[in-house]
Amino acid sequence: MSVLDDISVLSENAFERISQADSLDALNDVRVHYLGKKGEITVILKGLGKLPVDERKQIGAAANKARKSIEKRIKEKQESFGDEKPAIVIDSTLPGTAQPLGHVHILNQVMGDICRTFHGMGFEIAHGPDIEADYYNFEALNFPPDHPARDMQDTLFVKGDRLLRTHTTPVQVREIEKRKPPIKIITPGRCFRNEAISTRAHVAFHQVDGFLVDEDVSMSDLKGVLVAFCKAFFGEDVKLNFRPSFFPFTEPSAEVDVSCILCGGKGCQLCKYSGWLEILGCGMIDPNVLDKAGIDSEKYTGYAFGLGVERIAMLKYKIDDIRLFFNNDVRFLSQFK
Amino acid sequence: MKISYKWLLELTGLDLPVHELADRLTNCGTAVEEIEATDRYMDKVVVGYVTDINSIKGADKIKLATVDIGSDKLDLVCGAPNVAVGQKVPVALLGAKLAGDFVIKKAKIRGVESCGMICSERELGISDDHSGIMVFDSDATIGTPLADYLDFHDYQLAFELTPNRPDSMSAIGIARDAAALVSMAVHKPDFELVESSEKASDYISVKIDDPDACPRYAARIIKNIKIGQSPWWIKKKLLTSGIRPINNIVDITNYVLLETGHPLHAFDYDRFDSTEVVVRRATEGEKFTTLDDQEHSLIPDVLLITNGKHGVAAAGVMGGLDSEVEDSTTNILLESAYFNPSMIRKSRKHLGFVTESSTRFEKGADPNGALFAINRAASLMHELCGGEVLDGIIDCYPEQIKPKTISFRPARCNAILGTKLTTKRMKEILSNLELEVTGEEKLTVTVPTFRPDLEREIDLIEEVARMEGWGNIPDAISNVGPLFTPTYKQDVFVDEVRTILTGVGFDEMVNHGLVDSRFAKKVNPDLPYVQIVNPSSSDLDAMRNSMSLTALNVIGHNISHRNTDLRLFEIGKVYQPPDAHHDWNEEQRIVLTVTGNTTNGWRQSPRPFDFYDLTGAIERLAAHFRWPELQYVPKTTNHLESGVSFQIRAGDTTVGSIGQVSMSIARLADIKQMVYMAEFTTEPLQEVGASLPFFKSLPQFPAAPRDLAIVVAVDVPAGDLVKTVRNAAGSLAEKVDIFDLYMGKQIEKGKKSIAVTITYRSAERSLSGDEVDVVQQNVMADLKKKFNAEIRDK
Repeated sequence: MSVLDDISVLSENAFERISQADSLDALNDVRVHYLGKKGEITVILKGLGKLPVDERKQIGAAANKARKSIEKRIKEKQESFGDEKPAIVIDSTLPGTAQPLGHVHILNQVMGDICRTFHGMGFEIAHGPDIEADYYNFEALNFPPDHPARDMQDTLFVKGDRLLRTHTTPVQVREIEKRKPPIKIITPGRCFRNEAISTRAHVAFHQVDGFLVDEDVSMSDLKGVLVAFCKAFFGEDVKLNFRPSFFPFTEPSAEVDVSCILCGGKGCQLCKYSGWLEILGCGMIDPNVLDKAGIDSEKYTGYAFGLGVERIAMLKYKIDDIRLFFNNDVRFLSQFK
Repeated sequence: MKISYKWLLELTGLDLPVHELADRLTNCGTAVEEIEATDRYMDKVVVGYVTDINSIKGADKIKLATVDIGSDKLDLVCGAPNVAVGQKVPVALLGAKLAGDFVIKKAKIRGVESCGMICSERELGISDDHSGIMVFDSDATIGTPLADYLDFHDYQLAFELTPNRPDSMSAIGIARDAAALVSMAVHKPDFELVESSEKASDYISVKIDDPDACPRYAARIIKNIKIGQSPWWIKKKLLTSGIRPINNIVDITNYVLLETGHPLHAFDYDRFDSTEVVVRRATEGEKFTTLDDQEHSLIPDVLLITNGKHGVAAAGVMGGLDSEVEDSTTNILLESAYFNPSMIRKSRKHLGFVTESSTRFEKGADPNGALFAINRAASLMHELCGGEVLDGIIDCYPEQIKPKTISFRPARCNAILGTKLTTKRMKEILSNLELEVTGEEKLTVTVPTFRPDLEREIDLIEEVARMEGWGNIPDAISNVGPLFTPTYKQDVFVDEVRTILTGVGFDEMVNHGLVDSRFAKKVNPDLPYVQIVNPSSSDLDAMRNSMSLTALNVIGHNISHRNTDLRLFEIGKVYQPPDAHHDWNEEQRIVLTVTGNTTNGWRQSPRPFDFYDLTGAIERLAAHFRWPELQYVPKTTNHLESGVSFQIRAGDTTVGSIGQVSMSIARLADIKQMVYMAEFTTEPLQEVGASLPFFKSLPQFPAAPRDLAIVVAVDVPAGDLVKTVRNAAGSLAEKVDIFDLYMGKQIEKGKKSIAVTITYRSAERSLSGDEVDVVQQNVMADLKKKFNAEIRDK
């Protein structure tokens, strides 16, 4: 019997065994028997090289044809079993393939939230230098020459007649000098104070200041903007309380409390049972500040406000130690996703 | 400042619960910080009578006192040195909670049972006095609850006053705000001053050498006073304000200070040693001993009250030891002056302490309140110390300080506040604050001298806002300002960097930028830095001149807390002091650092982080921002390990450095593992990345990829090979990708195999195999020629 006949017998037998296979396992046995590494068809195909050229072609073609038809029958049979047993076992409880995951620093997350909220209300963002001249940090902002903040005990001074800014309000002056009203800007950034480091205080902190200078700007506009911000930031139900206060660069001035974000004003540990959390300072820009920056304070008025980013982050995320922000311990960083 | 709640009620005639009064005051800018009941430690404390005292066996410091509390007789162990039979004393019964939250329980001391405690003032929260037990007058009724006996059901209100409001630093000042809120006037104390016929001017004269520093000095003489204890009603108010009673004369000056805000000083006239008060500046090096027995060497910045010979008081700050009122004092020289605020600030700065008096003068006392205060005190000295007030005040006031007048436009006020208040309402508010208002369209407001803070129209507008209440000012619902709000490019860039780097697994650091100059000098010996003149601590005395300083500190901190596998970045500033070429400079930079191993997981095993983890992240940024191709050029840098130290270049511009941190530098931050770090400036990169990625037509013809394995000496840069391949393949090569690097057994020592895929494609036609073969031959020939490469065509 020629090899060609063998192939045709092999095919017939294979077809028969495929049709009789009653499970995927049985079918797989058939596949291995004919098409596996040492399968009968495979052996023929492997042996082709030893044959003379004309036989090689003929037998090769027949063997390949047989392989294909067996594969086809196996596939058809396999489909007839349906989904009886999936080929791949998925353990859905295994964690997914790990993808790298870094974390934006919580201070920048909060700063970003604040800035986006104000940007949504039409505030542009401006920055200024951390190493600032006395003029912008104090003098232009109406601080009298002997104001305690100008003391070495409160402010860090730098060799060469500069200081590390104690607030980001100097940027307000720099921008007012550069522009023409209407000017509506927030100035996020880092500030420094000569302070002993503790759980509640640090040499550095972050602030977002904001201001608007235009005709007919009133305290009512200021209140409206701050109410809108606090509702967007802390939720629609938040209440605000404005307490008159004093800052050299605004008049009238106020400090703003929001109803406690934890207890809603009923009183809890976070708000020290007062129901309120002090959140920002604000006021109408003092006419002296506008005049000094070259704006006619009779024609234009303005409001300004400032809030501490660390304080808001600490309240919102219940962080109890300000030093954690600058330690950059990855166990801290990775908590804020 | 602390003031009694009941005192405020007396002065205003208001009858408000304490919390309501506090809220109202807080909402008009006179902030109440804390409210404490004065009787909070007096529950279950009663008046007792000591009937018997016995010693306790084996104890010499404590005794057993038998105390009658009316309903019972108690045996109490007492350690106070002043306990004696016949005393009326405060007795804390079982369950009483005393200061420091100390609860009285049954106790056995030296085998003796004690069912309560005889208390000191400190234990009752009255004062800090713990020298002995409190002893009451003999007419105290046994068994009376203590707070009833003392009439001490009051609250201590602690105020946090703003620095611009010296007028609120007194009971009357606070009461004025409280009364004004309900359109009432404050009830100033009513008193009658009885003067004797003897002239005060026969006893004393006043001369002011420097009327700028001391615009007014008033004096009175009170003769034949008897030093003793103050009555309880004065002590109570002093104690509630946290001031320790001393004797009736000193207490009266303190009482009037609290009441009116005007500081007074009482000298012992007989020890004053002169009939002349001379106010002058101290001379350089002049010695003066304050009543706390401290000797000071003065300078002309200190204003001195003298007796014409030597100093008797540091004006407005503290009296002198030599003329202090003592138990034997009988005649008083009473001072009520007005000193220039900046003079007092200088004086107390030189002396190095603040007092109740200096704080008030420094913020601004009322020059025209001096007489009310001195008369009030004199009348009390007559009433309570039996003193004889001599006829007349010696009032040296060369140039009267007159009230200011300010013009005020009601329309402007409404414009600033965004309100529609009537002129009548504004006039009412201002008058309630004791300002004099005239006019209709434009008001003229006369400001009494106790309000030095009111100088401009805007100051008066603030008063209107304060008294009307911010809560009554409407919240605008429209939003004014420019039509369009541009985004700030720099912030968008920073946000995108943040998103990308956290997306490839880097955690963001925020450092404040203050570093230890010693560390800065070791890491970058030649780089100037910004020095802090008055650092808060010696290890934060410089601004960082390189991001790596703070990054290394953070890595050190993390490793010391066993976080050893780190991928960190920061976007921040470095600072440079001005030099011949530059002004002050703050440059924004990015630092990226990796150390330790990648994460372990069921699908991937950890491997050490290395250089390519940094460049991979940087390439991700470069791709996003369409930076030109960055090059890492070998260059030794002090803080990087030689051989693993590169400059980062974008075209011809050096933008930063990258490499492995030198082990000796790492050790300075307590790091003993390999750290890779890249630091680069962002500004030049933000500019070059600006062009838009214009659309290119999608390829229409198939690509023909060919692989090559190139075996070359290990020191041949892969980048050079790729460049050569690109050049040789010409325009038909769409891209060249490295897909394998191999060094090991399969190839010769000192060589490496780099495998690349060259993707050939034409935009005009399908490439034939032969066509590609020809190009491929050129590529291989070039590689052989240039690098002596052995090629394995795949």
